[in-house]
Amino acid sequence: MSQPTSNCPNCGAPVQFRWSSAVQTACPFCKSIIVRSDLDLQKVGEVADLPPDPSPIQLLTEGVYKGDKFQVTGRLVYEYENGGWNEWHIVFSKGASAWLSDAQLQYAISFLVNPKEPIPAQAEISRGKHLQFGGTEFEVSTITVAMYNGFEGELPFPYYGKSDMLFADLRTPGKSFGTIDYSEEPPLLFLGEWVEYEELQLKNVRQFEGWA
Amino acid sequence: MASPLVAPPVAKTKALSCPNCGGPVELRGFGHALTVVCQQCLSVLDVSTPEVKILQQIQEKQRITPKIPLGTRGKFAGVAWDVIGFQRRTIHEDDETFSWDEYLLFNPYKGFRYVTEYNGHWNFVTPLESQPTRFAIAGRPAVAFEGRRFKHFDGVEAITTFVLGEFPWRVKGGENAICDDFIDPPTVLSSETTQHEVAWSRGEYTPGADIWKAFALPGNPPPAQGVYLNQPAPAKGGSMWGTFGMFLLGLIVLAILFATASRQSVVLDKRFRFSTADAEPSIVTPVFNLEGHTAALELTVDANMSNNWAYFNFALINDDTGTAFDFGREVSYYSGSDSDGTWSEGGTKETVYIPSVPPGHYYLRIEPEMDAATGPYRVQNKRTNAMDYHVVLKHDVPNYSFFWIVAGLLMIPPLFHGIRSGGFETKRWMDSDYPPVTTRGGD
Amino acid sequence: MRFPGYLTYGMLLLTGLTWAEYRGWSLSRVNQVKDVPKTVRDNPGAYRSHYGFYPRYVGGK
Repeated sequence: MSQPTSNCPNCGAPVQFRWSSAVQTACPFCKSIIVRSDLDLQKVGEVADLPPDPSPIQLLTEGVYKGDKFQVTGRLVYEYENGGWNEWHIVFSKGASAWLSDAQLQYAISFLVNPKEPIPAQAEISRGKHLQFGGTEFEVSTITVAMYNGFEGELPFPYYGKSDMLFADLRTPGKSFGTIDYSEEPPLLFLGEWVEYEELQLKNVRQFEGWA
Repeated sequence: MASPLVAPPVAKTKALSCPNCGGPVELRGFGHALTVVCQQCLSVLDVSTPEVKILQQIQEKQRITPKIPLGTRGKFAGVAWDVIGFQRRTIHEDDETFSWDEYLLFNPYKGFRYVTEYNGHWNFVTPLESQPTRFAIAGRPAVAFEGRRFKHFDGVEAITTFVLGEFPWRVKGGENAICDDFIDPPTVLSSETTQHEVAWSRGEYTPGADIWKAFALPGNPPPAQGVYLNQPAPAKGGSMWGTFGMFLLGLIVLAILFATASRQSVVLDKRFRFSTADAEPSIVTPVFNLEGHTAALELTVDANMSNNWAYFNFALINDDTGTAFDFGREVSYYSGSDSDGTWSEGGTKETVYIPSVPPGHYYLRIEPEMDAATGPYRVQNKRTNAMDYHVVLKHDVPNYSFFWIVAGLLMIPPLFHGIRSGGFETKRWMDSDYPPVTTRGGD
Repeated sequence: MRFPGYLTYGMLLLTGLTWAEYRGWSLSRVNQVKDVPKTVRDNPGAYRSHYGFYPRYVGGK
C-alpha cells in the first residue's frame, strides 16, 4: 500500500493517506475534512468530535473474513431514534473494500454491489416488502431514518454534510443480509452476511476496564 | 505525521449524578446506554446526550428487587456476561395478570443477551439477526428456522411495568409490544413487534440451578411451578414403543423357534361312540409312548353336537408310575334362527393343554356324560342321548396363548408412559392460545 | 439404553416365557392324581374321577 504524503490545504500540516484508494480523511490538527481527487486536496468542511464509542473495533483493528485478512481504515457514525451504529470501512489484503457494521454489537460484513435487478426507489420501499437480488430473496425488516454523526479515519468516497437519510434493512431466514442506502441518488445496495464476533478473529481491539 | 489512526484509550465504566436525587448512577455499558434508571430514586433518565434528562418517575412502592442483582457477572458456555438491566413485563388475560422478568446481559465484545424468568422457569435468550420463515401446521401459525419447525404457542401484548439499570435503547414504564412465542422444546423463538420493527430472539430453557451456578448466587433458585412453554418433557428417550417393537420381534422369533423345535406328533387319533344307554360309559385307549422331554400335550375333542351338550371326564394315566392327569371339559352347541337371523352358541370342538407331562407310557381314560332326558332317541322305550366324538392327542406342542399374554403385558409400560407424557404435554398447552381442554365456561 | 426398567421387565417376561414353553406349562387347571391301579385298564369303570364337582353330573354307576 503506497502512502502518498501531502499537506493539509487549510493549515499546511502533513497529511498521509494510509490506503492508496482513500478519498477522504480528516486533518489531525485543524480537523478539516479533506477530500482528494488524484493529488489535489480540498477542504470541504470540519469534522465534529465523535460521541464516546462503545465498539470493541477501532481503527487499525485487524481481522479475517473467509480466509482473507483485512484492516479497519475508517468509520462512519450513524445515530437513529434507538441508538447508534458504526460502519467500519475495511480493506482486504488484496485491496478490496467492504464495510463491517457494528450495531449494538451485532456484526455484519457487506460489499457494495451493482445488482442486475433494479433497486426500489425511496417512495416504493416499505416494511415487509420482498425483494430479490442475485438469487436470494430478502424481506425488508426495518426502515431507519438516521442522522450522520461524522467519520473517522479514511473513506473510499466522499461522505460529508449529510443530514437525515433513509436506510432499509434486508433480512433472510439465513445469514444473508443487505442494506439499501438512500442517502445517495441512485440508492446504494450493500449485500453481505451476519458474522459472529469469534469468526472475525479480531486483533488489536479496544480494551474495556474490567474485561480481559 | 500520519492521519489520525490513533487507538482510543481503554474504555472505562462511567458514573454520573442523578439529576433528581444526586445519587451515583453507574454505567457499565461503556457508552451503549441510552436509558438508565437511578437505583436510589427510580428516576428513568435519558443518557443519549451529555445533558441527562429525566424521562419518567417510577414510584417507590412499585420497586421490585431483581432475583439476580444488577452488576453480577456470570459465565455461560465460557463467556462472561454482566447483568446491567432489568425489566418486568406484564400481560392481562381474562381479568388475570401475569408477569415475567427479563435480565439484560452485556459483554463489550459479544453484545447483549437476556435471561428471562417466569414462575421459576428460566431461559437464556439470544437476539437473532436472521428472520424465521412463517408457515402453518394444521391451520395454526408456525415458523421454520435452521431446519427446525416451531409451533405458535401464544401471542400477547406485553406492557413494561418496571425497569431498573441501563438499556441500549429507549425504554419507559408503560411501553407495550406484541410478543409471539413459537416453540420446539427446549427452544423458543420469540418475535417482538413494536411500531417500527419486528425483532426475533431465540431462547433456550435453562434450569434454575444452572442460572444460580452461572452467577454464583447464594441459596436456591425459586422452585419451578407448572409446565413452561419450552420446558423439555421429562420422559427421556421419547416413545417406548420402539423398545416394545424390539420385544415383539423377539417374541415372534421365540414363537418360530418353539414351533419348529416342538415335535407336535399325534400320539392318539380315535373316534368313539357314546350313548347314555351304554352299560359302561367309561373307556380306555391303548397305551401310547411319549418320548423326549417333559412337554405339554394338546387334547382336542370334537363331538357332533346339535342343540345338545356333553361333559367329558378325562384322565391321562401313566401306565408305569400310576400317576394320572385328571380333568374335564364340556362341549355344547346350540343354534337356531329368529327374526334377527341365524344364531349359534358354543362349539363342537374343545381343546385342552395338559401341562408338563413327563415322558413315558400312557393311556387315556374317557368317561362322557349326557342328559338322557333331553336326548332325541329312544332305546327300549327309555329316552336316550348319544353322540359320536373324535379325540386327538398331540405331544410336545407350543402353547401360543403365553405369547399373547406376554405381548399384552409388554404393552402396559409404553401405554402408561404415553399417558404420563401426554399429561405433561397437556399441561404445557393449557397455558397457550390453543388449550386442549377448555375449563372456563363460554362467554 | 433408553428405558432400563422396561428392558429388564421385558427380558424377565421373555425368559419366563421361554422356560414355560420349554417345560410345557399350561394355563389349564389339571389335577394330578397318584397311585392309579393298573386294573383300571381292564376295568375303567372302577376309576374314580377326582376332578372338581361338575354341577351337571347326572349320576354314577
